[in-house]
Amino acid sequence: MATVLDPAGAPAAEERRAARRGRSTAPGGRGRHVPPLLAVSPFYVLFAVFGTFPVLYSLYLSFQDWDGIGDMRFVGLKQYGWLLQDSVFWHSVVNTFEIWFLSTVPMLFLALVLAFLLHSQVRFSGALRVAYFIPNVTSMVAMTIVFGSVFAQAGLANSVLRAVGLDGVGWLSSEWGIKSSVAIMIIWRWVGYNALIFLAGLQAIPTEHFEAARVDGANSWQTLFRVVVPQLRPVILFAAVTSTINGLQIFTESQVLFQSTDVGTTGGPGQEGMTIVLYLWQKAFKEHQFGYGAAMGWLLFAIIAIFTIVNWRLVSGSDRDDDRRSGIAGLLRRKGVRNGR
Amino acid sequence: MDHRTMTRRRLLGVSLGGAGAALLGMSGCGASSGSASAGTDHLSLWYWKGALSDKLLATAKRGVPGMPGLKVRGSQIPDGDIDSKVRTSLAARAYVPDITVANSDNLATFFPDENEFLDLRTLGAESVRDSYLDWKWESCFTPSGRMIGFPLDAGPTALYYRRDLFQKAGLPHEPEDVAEEIPTWEKFIATGRTLRAKGPGKPYLVSNIGNVFQQALLQSPKQFVDADNRFIGDQQHIRRAWDLSVEILRQRLSAGITDGTPDFNAAMSGGRVATMTTAVWAINGLKDTAPKTSGTWRLTTMPDGPANYGGSYLTLTRYCRDPEGAFAFLKWLLSPANQLKSYQEMALFPTTPASYADPAMHTPDPFFGGQQPIDVFGPAAQKAPVVYFSPYEDSAKIPFFQELTNVEMLGKNPDRAWRDAVNTAATTLSRLGVS
Repeated sequence: MATVLDPAGAPAAEERRAARRGRSTAPGGRGRHVPPLLAVSPFYVLFAVFGTFPVLYSLYLSFQDWDGIGDMRFVGLKQYGWLLQDSVFWHSVVNTFEIWFLSTVPMLFLALVLAFLLHSQVRFSGALRVAYFIPNVTSMVAMTIVFGSVFAQAGLANSVLRAVGLDGVGWLSSEWGIKSSVAIMIIWRWVGYNALIFLAGLQAIPTEHFEAARVDGANSWQTLFRVVVPQLRPVILFAAVTSTINGLQIFTESQVLFQSTDVGTTGGPGQEGMTIVLYLWQKAFKEHQFGYGAAMGWLLFAIIAIFTIVNWRLVSGSDRDDDRRSGIAGLLRRKGVRNGR
Repeated sequence: MDHRTMTRRRLLGVSLGGAGAALLGMSGCGASSGSASAGTDHLSLWYWKGALSDKLLATAKRGVPGMPGLKVRGSQIPDGDIDSKVRTSLAARAYVPDITVANSDNLATFFPDENEFLDLRTLGAESVRDSYLDWKWESCFTPSGRMIGFPLDAGPTALYYRRDLFQKAGLPHEPEDVAEEIPTWEKFIATGRTLRAKGPGKPYLVSNIGNVFQQALLQSPKQFVDADNRFIGDQQHIRRAWDLSVEILRQRLSAGITDGTPDFNAAMSGGRVATMTTAVWAINGLKDTAPKTSGTWRLTTMPDGPANYGGSYLTLTRYCRDPEGAFAFLKWLLSPANQLKSYQEMALFPTTPASYADPAMHTPDPFFGGQQPIDVFGPAAQKAPVVYFSPYEDSAKIPFFQELTNVEMLGKNPDRAWRDAVNTAATTLSRLGVS
């Protein structure tokens, strides 16, 4: 055990400390790196405990049959086999994509229009930005209960439809009514968030471009689609990618919208609101089939991975010759700039 | 300079050491005993709001009467979380409550892991058996004969009906007369036809057909899976409940609205639905939902006879630090006298029939026009059948309820829906080892 005498300090204290650590504290030795590593360790420790371990454990679980308490039974790939034959699972996959499409496309379009309007000189734009962002930080459960009343048979949505002479819609009792209700809630929640991202992108566009457009006599509509959209392309693609990843994990809206003490109401009539994550939750946490739920989680991972690769290819399709190491953001940026010209 | 480095390092060291010690301390505490109450002077009890009497729990926290030194401290766990919290703690073998509440659906899901709970017979449960309802007592036992639950409250069922709507439709409308008029589900449907034709505003008979399916099902001693782990959901006792429900829909007597939704609340307060087939615990919900209809409702015997719907149990986990003390607490908390207090305070319906005769339970309820609910629910609780629930009841019945909803809301062909429900249930159960 090496002891370093500190000319200005207390050698005894240093010695005790060295003894406690049980390793050399000689300058230049490995010990020097211990304090900084320890200092950053909380993140890694927490990530290992709450991130890595559950992920690996769920992979292990997906090969087992387990009710959450007793002994596990190894079943190999059977859970995956059962899952691939489970019509409800496939129904939930289709539902998830349908709801994703119904929500993401209008949401991104609305967010773009909102961002454009907020970017122009309007009064109270600060207050408006806050107002549009508030849905994103509102408790989803509270919000879903409000929407439950809006979409009731005698609710606000149908009252408005009847006021303008249309028939009411079975918002929570028909296939497309259910999907639209869930999609509308997602749009309401995320439109402000994406509008802020677009707004940040807009503010990066030099004002000369807007001035030039105005000098050339372009109206707002033309400015939006001929000037703004091309320049915003990388930001739009970022928003599309993140919305896709979020959209494939829809859960709370469907869960709370059809929450009831009655049996078998999860996902609503015809299970048209049953999403992949909601089905996972029902199987794992309501019916205590943890192996089945874990297998579903990994199939969802595979679906998202495939979807992300497809996305990547679509986005980077014409940029094969570019340096791929610069990552998707770089590709997006270059593509955006080139298309913007 | 050097001094400053020293202090910074020392600060870092002290804080890290502190965090480490805290972690060690936590794990050390869990390792010595799996009980959540290890190292304290009380036993821990998990329950959800409304499951137990707050007043009696306050007493138990100070000390269980007649048991010197025994204290029980209750922790409220949200209704939706308690099952997964209990499972998580049992799987982790740490921070397990000594005593926990399990509801009627959940008790059976613990049967495959029955050894996680203490067998209450070994603590002398048989000595108080005579005080409790027979069917409730039977339901505390696992197929292997282990008693893992203790009777908490019961959920006897009755037919709730709107006396005013019955009267205006020219039907018998006093509870005894209605009971005589509607002894069976078939007569119930006939009454529905009259209501729809002659009642004011053409009221529906039921809010949705799933409720009727549920009640007809609970009247059967057999459910979806028998005690030998065989799927019996494709048999006559289920088919009868299914056909009754579909017949109500075919005759257009169902409003087709899910309970608890804003539409349901509007229909109940607006008099669009004339009856409810449910348990005693639905009274408070109905009073909240439709306060303006107070005085118009009455209670009578369920068509085809009463059954039990819901109700809870108390269980002792195997990590319980003081099994004798905990069982003494159960006997005290759930004694006939204290169940009576719980009924008065929390409307928890007693599982001790001796309580039903007590004058305190015979209070007229203005919501039911001065009728005494106990006159209907008391006999119903005593006549409910003994039913065997398997651990897989939820997985088995979900497809049937879903397909009934599909028939009612989306117009699916009932025969196809029946085949789909049977197939889905059989497939799901075969994965769980039910043949």
